[in-house]
Amino acid sequence: MQTDGPAPDRTPASRRSGGFSRRSFLKGASIAAVGGPAGAAATAGGAILTDAPRDTGTIPAGQLREIALRVNGVERRVAVETRTTLLDALRDGLDLTGTKKVCDRGACGACTVLVDGQPTNSCLMLAHDAVGREITTIEGLASDAALHPVQQAFVEHDALQCGFCTPGFVMSAVACLGKHGKPSPATLRHELAGNICRCGTYGRIFAAVQDAAGRAGR
Amino acid sequence: MNPFELRNPDSVAAASGAAGPARVFKAAGIDLLDRLKERIDDPDALVNLLPLGAELGGIGRSDDGTIRLGALVTLQQIADSDALAAPGLRALREACGEAATPQVRSRATLGGNLLQRNRCWYFRSAAFQCAHDGKGDRCLAWHGENRYHAIFGVVDCLRVHPSNAAPPLMVLGAEVEVQRGEARRRQPIAALFPDSPAAATAEHTLGADDVLIAVHLPAAAARGGSAYRESREKQSFDWATTAAAVHLGVEGGRITSASICLGAVAPNPWPVDDAQSLVGEAPSRELFEQLARRVFRRATPTEQNRYKVEVGQAILVDALLAAAGL
Ligand SMILES: Cc1cc2nc3c(=O)[nH]c(=O)nc-3n(C[C@H](O)[C@H](O)[C@H](O)COP(=O)(O)OP(=O)(O)OC[C@H]3O[C@@H](n4cnc5c(N)ncnc54)[C@H](O)[C@@H]3O)c2cc1C
Ligand code: FES
Ligand code: FES
Repeated sequence: MQTDGPAPDRTPASRRSGGFSRRSFLKGASIAAVGGPAGAAATAGGAILTDAPRDTGTIPAGQLREIALRVNGVERRVAVETRTTLLDALRDGLDLTGTKKVCDRGACGACTVLVDGQPTNSCLMLAHDAVGREITTIEGLASDAALHPVQQAFVEHDALQCGFCTPGFVMSAVACLGKHGKPSPATLRHELAGNICRCGTYGRIFAAVQDAAGRAGR
Repeated sequence: MNPFELRNPDSVAAASGAAGPARVFKAAGIDLLDRLKERIDDPDALVNLLPLGAELGGIGRSDDGTIRLGALVTLQQIADSDALAAPGLRALREACGEAATPQVRSRATLGGNLLQRNRCWYFRSAAFQCAHDGKGDRCLAWHGENRYHAIFGVVDCLRVHPSNAAPPLMVLGAEVEVQRGEARRRQPIAALFPDSPAAATAEHTLGADDVLIAVHLPAAAARGGSAYRESREKQSFDWATTAAAVHLGVEGGRITSASICLGAVAPNPWPVDDAQSLVGEAPSRELFEQLARRVFRRATPTEQNRYKVEVGQAILVDALLAAAGL
């Protein structure tokens, strides 16, 4: 999605400039928790160990390690444990909170991101397994000038109520249009079948995506 | 999830050597992470198979027509594969293309799909102890909530086999290739599924250090027609409530070979021996309905899953008609 240069940092200024947000507090608190007696030796006095080489060797339990994830075209470093999911790394580690956590079990689609272009439940993928892959989140779709056509169509069709399912639906729709161009209604339903909207805005969502597909083709 | 060590082996032999009772293989981790989050499993280490894509990935077709599906091939890759375009292999493509959701299919591996653990809600909850998880003394579904449970082959536990990929691979005569240490072996896929008494606590016959390498399809599988049909409560997302995979040879208006395997109705994928009675007959709806009635007459439903007897017949007839091109 990015054309040139590094992507703009979309972190709100209040969080960037040492502002104390709820999230940065939680993040600090969780690092402190694993830096306690059990993790102290392993993390060498609280310092975070850097990258194990990808794909070889053993990564110990209960240790924070810094890994590099390519997110929205930019390499980002984030400290994770072996058990950290990609979803938690994005939300709690990188402050990319557009991707939502609802069921945490692959059963709702709110956490959908693209991994190498494929729609993926980030709640069921280990962050370590995302190293070396191209990750696109909802924050990576718009350019500074304009929303992504699918986002624009969601706005125009008023395709949301509470909006909690929306980022996941938009990511699945982007993947679907990438694969099928102009999907038939049946194909669209099949490709969006991994997302649930509790508010029941399905009709408008399908209309928005169909509309976005039409525009992309013009 | 409790903390665990993550091992990234650099060969299949190293992966096999690294595994053990408390050190389990992880492919995409979709089933495994679910079990860890629910705390029904608590291994010390995960042995990551994803770095072994060179050995365990890929769909390959040999000159003699046999096909090799690497254990790390995803359900979506199978659904979209040109190498599996023959009508005889359609059941496999359909089963993988209908499983779960796009987000699951894009990562879920063939090996993990075959070896995923069952979905019985008593087994899947740390709040319950049942005989199958080895922590209790009986099957709780017998006198509990059993609407998704088995109607065939029940010995000790009412669970059903959840895999979409297994029934079509059974009717296609697939073999699985397994490696332990440096040694490889091949066996019919049916040998992957345990009989009583092993079935009381196990859902497959692999040892803790056995790596599933690949699934092989014989050249004959591509010939003839095949189809997979399933019922479920929603049109998407959920595991099947009943499923049927069918492979038929038809020549000169007569059925020359027939193979049927049901899914989601028994603790293992459930082959239907009666399929042989179709050979020599002319395919028709009446013929298929008679067979379906005979097959499901032997079902032993429990209190809440009688619907599977009716629905399962309809699904089987649909699959037979589609495989016969009717
Ligand atoms: C919402 C949802 C809906 C679903 N619906 C369906 C459905 O309709 N039909 C269906 O069939 N499935 C369904 N599934 C299940 C899904 O298909 C499986 O969880 C997935 O295929 C598991 O593959 P994996 O690569 O993630 O395996 P993992 O979770 O990594 O592994 C699963 C098990 O297999 C073992 N294992 C994996 N690979 C190997 C290997 N090569 N050698 C030895 N052992 C191995 C692991 O040790 C583990 O115990 C659904 C899942 C979700 C979340
Ligand atoms: S939060 Fe991942 S699918 Fe619901
Ligand atoms: S808009 Fe509320 S869940 Fe979809």
